[in-house]
Amino acid sequence: MKFAIALYSAAHTPSSRRALLFAQAALAGGHEIVRLFFYQDGVYSASNNVVAPQDEQDIARQWREFVSQHQLDGVVCIAAALRRGVLNAEEATRYQRSAVNLEAPWALSGLGQLHDAIQDADRLICFGGP
Amino acid sequence: MSKSLLVISRQAPWSGPSAREALDIVLAGGAFDLPIGLLFLDDGVFQLAPHQDAKAVQQKDLGANLQALGLFGIDDVFACSHSLAERGLTPPASAQPLGNEDICRLIDRYDQVITL
Amino acid sequence: MSTLHVLSHSPFTDSRLDSCLRLCGREDAILLCGDGAYGLHSPALHTKGVKVFVLAEDMQARNLPLPDWADSVDYPGFVQLSIDYDKVNTWL
Repeated sequence: MKFAIALYSAAHTPSSRRALLFAQAALAGGHEIVRLFFYQDGVYSASNNVVAPQDEQDIARQWREFVSQHQLDGVVCIAAALRRGVLNAEEATRYQRSAVNLEAPWALSGLGQLHDAIQDADRLICFGGP
Repeated sequence: MSKSLLVISRQAPWSGPSAREALDIVLAGGAFDLPIGLLFLDDGVFQLAPHQDAKAVQQKDLGANLQALGLFGIDDVFACSHSLAERGLTPPASAQPLGNEDICRLIDRYDQVITL
Repeated sequence: MSTLHVLSHSPFTDSRLDSCLRLCGREDAILLCGDGAYGLHSPALHTKGVKVFVLAEDMQARNLPLPDWADSVDYPGFVQLSIDYDKVNTWL
């Protein structure tokens, strides 16, 4: 089964962790993830600048490692990211901002990537809210 | 054949970028000629209320985006009758009002659904 | 066509479950997760007669007993439910 997974919440929310555990279970079950698409506050789950307290789970880091390890297609919506201050090096240069908080394995792209993933997948699964 | 997508918009237009970002999903799908439906549910029906004034809170007018739906080939626009009645709104011309049973069948008809 | 509705808001402070129960079909099911698990205490959910699942970790974290009208699932079970139903509607 091919899954498209969309995340709408930040790394500190339970739903971001829930999405990660679902994605891990999907791969462990022999399924495919055609794309992860982070939209709305989901862009914060891809931020490289999240510093979790030492005795708490660092979900943003776990997402990064998960995507890298399985070489998944991790797309962050560019319009949602810019609005929320999540920038890669290219966008930071373009808009003359001092901080870069989005790096590989994440790629910034448009909403077309969400629709493309929906077309490609058997199931779209969204995570967000609390 | 393309998979169809129903977007259910539940947010009032003035509660941050949520309503606009829901609409952006719809418009992007329309731009790619995909079969997209849009249903206004719960506080989402407030997006359809007449004579709203975005300038009063220095916002962009979401109504302009709603009017663009037709230009993007989005003709399947619906509003929940129950939500409209609950909020004292009369059914707008821009969206087809649907009762609970019809909405249930509407959700059934689409391949995928995003509620936000 | 069947839909798995996923809810993560507490029904005691939020209207999502009410709307979901109003619109969900006979073939549909509801998966409660996060604070949505508090829905196990909601009489409306039980009386509607719709199939109810709850994410086991959220039930355990909140010390909620599993009523006889609901089933608990772990993450592999969640993945399986998303396959068993034709689509997943998460009430974000």
